[in-house]
Amino acid sequence: MSGYTDGIIILLCINSIAAMGVSLLTGFTGIFSLGHAGYMAVGAYTAAILTFQYEVNFILAILLGGAMAAILGYVIGVPTLKLVGDYYAIVSIGLGEAIRLLLENGGTITRGARGYPGIPPYTTLTIALCFFVIMAFLMFNLINSRFGRAFKACRDDYIAASLLGYNTSKYRILSLVLSAFYCGISGALLGGFLSFIQPIMFDMIKSTELTAVVVFGGLGSMTGTLIGALIITLITELFRPISQYRMLIYGAILVIIMIIRPEGVMGQHEFGPKLLKVLKRKFLRGNFSKEGGES
Amino acid sequence: MTKVSKNIILKLDNLNKYFGGVPAVKDISFSINQRELVGLIGPNGAGKTTIFNLITGVYFPDSGHINFQGEDITSLKTYEVIRKNIARTFQNIRLFPRSTALENVMVAMQQHHACSFGEAITHFGRWGKKEREIKLKSMDILDKMGLAKRADQPARTLPYGIQRRLEIARALALDPEFLLLDEPAAGMNPEEVNELNHLIVDIHKELKITILVIEHHMDLVMEICPHIICMNFGTKIAEGNPDEIQRHPEVLKAYLGVEVDE
Amino acid sequence: MDILLQQIINGLSLGSVYALIAVGYSLVYSILMFSNFAHGGFLVIGGYICYFALKSMGTGIWIAGFLSLLGAGISAVLTEKLAYKPIRENTNNTLYLLIASVGMSIVIENIFVVTVGGRFRALPPIIPTQPVNLFGLATTSAFDLLSLVAAVFFLGVLQILLIKTKWGLAIRAAAYDLKTAAFMGVNVNLLISIVFFIAGTLAAVGGIFLSVRYTLYPQLGAITIKAFVAAVIGGLGSLPGAVIGSVLLGLAEMLTAGFISSQLRDLVVFSLLIITLLFRPQGLFGKNISEKV
Repeated sequence: MSGYTDGIIILLCINSIAAMGVSLLTGFTGIFSLGHAGYMAVGAYTAAILTFQYEVNFILAILLGGAMAAILGYVIGVPTLKLVGDYYAIVSIGLGEAIRLLLENGGTITRGARGYPGIPPYTTLTIALCFFVIMAFLMFNLINSRFGRAFKACRDDYIAASLLGYNTSKYRILSLVLSAFYCGISGALLGGFLSFIQPIMFDMIKSTELTAVVVFGGLGSMTGTLIGALIITLITELFRPISQYRMLIYGAILVIIMIIRPEGVMGQHEFGPKLLKVLKRKFLRGNFSKEGGES
Repeated sequence: MTKVSKNIILKLDNLNKYFGGVPAVKDISFSINQRELVGLIGPNGAGKTTIFNLITGVYFPDSGHINFQGEDITSLKTYEVIRKNIARTFQNIRLFPRSTALENVMVAMQQHHACSFGEAITHFGRWGKKEREIKLKSMDILDKMGLAKRADQPARTLPYGIQRRLEIARALALDPEFLLLDEPAAGMNPEEVNELNHLIVDIHKELKITILVIEHHMDLVMEICPHIICMNFGTKIAEGNPDEIQRHPEVLKAYLGVEVDE
Repeated sequence: MDILLQQIINGLSLGSVYALIAVGYSLVYSILMFSNFAHGGFLVIGGYICYFALKSMGTGIWIAGFLSLLGAGISAVLTEKLAYKPIRENTNNTLYLLIASVGMSIVIENIFVVTVGGRFRALPPIIPTQPVNLFGLATTSAFDLLSLVAAVFFLGVLQILLIKTKWGLAIRAAAYDLKTAAFMGVNVNLLISIVFFIAGTLAAVGGIFLSVRYTLYPQLGAITIKAFVAAVIGGLGSLPGAVIGSVLLGLAEMLTAGFISSQLRDLVVFSLLIITLLFRPQGLFGKNISEKV
């Protein structure tokens, strides 16, 4: 395995972890956010400062990076999550930008807009894979549990959900905290991979990238999110020579998917026996009129 | 007929709700006893659904009190009210459209079969057992409601009448002591209304719960509800048994012009 | 005192430009109930058409301006027809429109990056920027006064359109309830096109002034986030709200830049947003839409 391939796999793991976080929030809980790169930044800078300045053990640093992002998510989430749809989207942009601005003006602590170099390269292939596998395991379990069902209920009809006894605010906040944690871990791993981070790496473009991945893969499908992360990371790498077109492609993907197939590649399905059942039924039912007309 | 206990389960005291100056509910007071099957009728816009929304905490009243099982629940939030073992269905069906029938019921059922967060993300511990319980009991309810065959079908693909049944099934999965049904027969033909009648009476008898039904269909309410409350323009205009209501001049006046299903 | 007045005028000028953008954005929101994040794209299109008309075609400011407004308006209509119409005919869910608009905003911005390049371009100095002395009280630039005048003019024209014309009435009806307006015989698709055209032209005016102020580059559209904030503060869907919110925002920004620090401008903007959303989420004049249960 050459170093180049290793690098791609590490990048895949990093992007997938962040994407899973955003997927939980947007795809499963229905909260559209355009500022999640901010949480990656918090995780990245926390881990960078801890490992570089204070020589903290890197695993601890990564976890603390995630924790810091999660705490910030909580603090921001409590007052803002009661906002609906468009309002929250605008606020999330603002928050993402605010985090970036604060990092750029963070003086000696964050080293400002020039970036933070010299981060110990702790993100090896093994580390990246381990984090990915564990976090994917936890996430898939989560969405396949009562919490997953609760998040989806809040997404599909929050009034009905509250009338089934769900404290929808609590679930929304939980979803945000978890997604922030995932993005924080991802950011921390990114710092350890590139050995260098800069606030501009975590701008709205990055946030949009994460959203594009989730939308492309399918809002409400974690498998879809991973497929999306895979495809988009690979495309980014393959088309590095024409990277100026990269953003154009992202934008176009978002628009085209919303027009042709808003449910994304996987729709709301996960890969597994249920999917096969659904495909079978669709195939068989193709010749009959749509159900719903009978009484 | 089962002997109705003399304990009052729900008491509305001088409830008032205004929407920008327009009274949706004005000085409403009534009480319902344990295990009663009560009908709430009245023309469109009489304020019936508003009463449901006030009871379940979707709206807060401008004045007045709501007492449930001796406790003042007037200012409780929606999910807090539901956790007092109250469940409701909706005038416009509010199923989770892309979830299957089974999943819809499971969302309700799992409220009483919780496992911890740690167990949920690791699938260790009690998780497996709880999941099986939730699934089994949900299938059980679907079965009892004649919906077992539909378990894996997305709710939005189900026929209308089946959807209404599913909503009731989901509400029952909460294991409520008090069930609020908001126009369960809306859009049904006489045959379906008849089936629904039997269903509601069965539920009432077997589960021994209190039921409050909002309905437009006279044939449903008159046939199965021994206790009827009639509203118009936000106020209570009559209360009594079916005979008394049918002969009440205010009720006849309110319904003049509206077709009577006979 | 001098500086205060200076910054107030600066704030009004900036706010007036924001107002042009915010009103167009709010207009679209009031009809279609979604935030068109691509609105900034129309601004940039307007700016570039004006630039190339002035530079390459060598026309005067009036023709360049006219072409710019026309071009931006048409682009807006095209965006709607190509990207939004198919989606809104398919589904009621405005989240999909939102996501598509984010995509369109990226597409528009990057079309410029890819074709004309991302470098900063200064517009030929057609719009006067020399200092003007106001009644001996303060000195401001002619530019600030002009942008204020232009904003008032265009918003005034819009107001007349809305109140005195048949289509204006249709727009106001549709803003209240789109479905009912359709039942009353309004050609909804044509109405939406008209609304987008208006939004595009207003954005173009704002774009021209912003290009002069900040130079022209593809990411200039990002400044519309501040106009969005202004629209939210004023109340999404309310046009007077958009204007007032914009003026407030412009003043807040300039006063902060003048008296505290230029770096903190943006933070102040977002703080105002958070405060509004926490204490009065419908904004100053927004309608309080609660869902019917």
